[in-house]
Amino acid sequence: MQSFLAMVIANLKMTVRNKQALFWNLAFPAIFILLFGAVFENQGMSSFSVGLAGADSELRAAVRQAMEGSDAFDLHEGTTDEELAALEDDDRSIVLVFPEDGSDAPIQLYEAAAGGPTGQIAVAATRSVVMEVAGAQSGIQIEQRQIETENASYIDWFVPGILGMSLMNSGIIGIATAFVSFREKGILRRIKVTPFPLWKFILARIVAALVLALVTSSILIGIGWAAWDLTVKGNPLLIVLTLIIVSLSMLSIGYAIAAISRNTETAASYANLVTFPMMFLSGVFFPLGALPDWLSPVVRVMPLKYAVEALRSIMLDGDGLEAILPQLGILLAIFAICLAFATRYFRWDEAPR
Amino acid sequence: MTSTAPPGPATGETIIAATGLTKRYKGHTAVAGIDLDIRRGEIFGILGPNGAGKTTTLEMIEGLREPDSGSITVAGLDGITQNEAIRRIIGVQLQSTALFPFLSAAELIELFGNLYGVDNPAGQVDRLLKLVGLEDKRGARVNEMSGGQQQRLSIALALVNQPEVTFLDEPTTGLDPRARRIMWDTILGIREAGTTVVLTTHYMEEAEVLCDRIAIMDSGRIIACDTPERLIRDLPQDAVVSATIVGDGAVLTESDVRAIPGVTHAAIDTAETPPRIKAQTSDVQATLVGLLELANERRITLGELASTRPTLEDVFLTLTGRTYEQDDDTENEEDT
Repeated sequence: MQSFLAMVIANLKMTVRNKQALFWNLAFPAIFILLFGAVFENQGMSSFSVGLAGADSELRAAVRQAMEGSDAFDLHEGTTDEELAALEDDDRSIVLVFPEDGSDAPIQLYEAAAGGPTGQIAVAATRSVVMEVAGAQSGIQIEQRQIETENASYIDWFVPGILGMSLMNSGIIGIATAFVSFREKGILRRIKVTPFPLWKFILARIVAALVLALVTSSILIGIGWAAWDLTVKGNPLLIVLTLIIVSLSMLSIGYAIAAISRNTETAASYANLVTFPMMFLSGVFFPLGALPDWLSPVVRVMPLKYAVEALRSIMLDGDGLEAILPQLGILLAIFAICLAFATRYFRWDEAPR
Repeated sequence: MTSTAPPGPATGETIIAATGLTKRYKGHTAVAGIDLDIRRGEIFGILGPNGAGKTTTLEMIEGLREPDSGSITVAGLDGITQNEAIRRIIGVQLQSTALFPFLSAAELIELFGNLYGVDNPAGQVDRLLKLVGLEDKRGARVNEMSGGQQQRLSIALALVNQPEVTFLDEPTTGLDPRARRIMWDTILGIREAGTTVVLTTHYMEEAEVLCDRIAIMDSGRIIACDTPERLIRDLPQDAVVSATIVGDGAVLTESDVRAIPGVTHAAIDTAETPPRIKAQTSDVQATLVGLLELANERRITLGELASTRPTLEDVFLTLTGRTYEQDDDTENEEDT
């Protein structure tokens, strides 16, 4: 146990003293928080979700069909009261309340008063769908109303995504390159001639990475709070659990890449190949609804998407464990698969001569 | 040449015994059935050119690679089934430096002390740094040290568990002459402290200076194993006669020199200017006379005429018929 602890501490020291890694894992996301926080200061921001309520008319069915066919809308239905309540809670961008068929009453479109630019996009997109569907039917009117919402700020939405990104970078890029360089330099074979087993060495590295993930996340949350009044909802223990699961899945991807990389350069390029698309296609910087439909199959296989969804669900919406079980399940499955893969292709030595 | 017996260590009890050790890699045999008998308290050298199988031999004894056939015992423990027990009583310095980045010398010694479960790992730091002459590098990070210093730190780590045997794989490769000499003192100091040392080297001079006994390896086989003195003394030759050819070198060929009485092997190194004759001889006097007569006959002036005692290089030459290629390149990691 003492040897294991010594190895965890040695790994912590190595990571903290590695200035390059420190930049990517801490300074880089911190810069994003400071910059984007400044750009979107005071602008509300929420997911691009639309609520349908009111009479179950033919028009509503047609709108529902059109919106379901597009990934730009995250569709919810309920009673008018429920949906407007959701809008107030910032869980909807738009709520459409439909009149009875044949009635002269207009369709009522509710939007968040502080919707900001994304709110306006949501309104425009919703209007265009409704007008298209209703095109044949004359006399359709849309009445637009604003409603005061809880106004989650952009930073509240942004920081969980950035945490996910930071854990991804340290987990995938950090582990893949460090581990392959340990193999290249003969450090793994050096450990192998001591009584300390290699699996313990790998476990020590994982424990050190988890400790650092929690410390880094706390610092980033602290920066968000100090600079932009970040508010974090949700149970802190649940947040810690989620951060650990996210981190584990990313670390396992890093180990899988290390297992198949011949040298540090290939490890770095594979790791970048995996992380770069994830940075932009997982909803870290903008809502996934803004992406074109044809990208949705790609988005669906991005582990970071599920990480960010889970983190936002807790930190932004204050959801409980049940709400993020599917995401956590997916992340744990990724962990299991990548770990099995990494174990299968693990090499302590360079490729056979 | 004296005929006194070599110093005591070689007569100690056996600490490592290997029989019929064999390792094949795809299509070629790295180690072809070797026997070893290494005694407690000696510095045992495995000498040979790159690719002779030195590193593979060490790796099999250390338990890094399983032999395809043959058996090993280390201090009475079976090399294959009692691998883990062996790891506790041996110290290993690998060919590549293999040190964690971003940790200081003291931190690394303490960490490795912990890995071996030694009592009071922090207490080992001063003793080991002193042994390898790095007292002033206590707090220096690995990346701030020179190659020679990293190599010595690596040896300190190989001693952290106070091993019965320590394995040093090419400890001086890539070091400048001064660093090499410091390393020799360090290695002699390890033997003084009672640890058996097994080292590989491709430097003949190093083997001669450092080792109590040497196994000369070539193409996966041990072609000779004895004290350096006996290896040289057992040569059929007494001496090596050498001279430079000041006149036109083309008028003298290797076969001309070979025809001189007493000569057992001759070579003319034309890469040097002027070209240099090197002849191993079993009769120095006859060879010197013959060489001078030949020079007069061909109207050649000989320079730097000298007769020297044979070295391990001559042993290698006699045993293999090949000149020993002692390349000094530092990129020496492919020694299988």
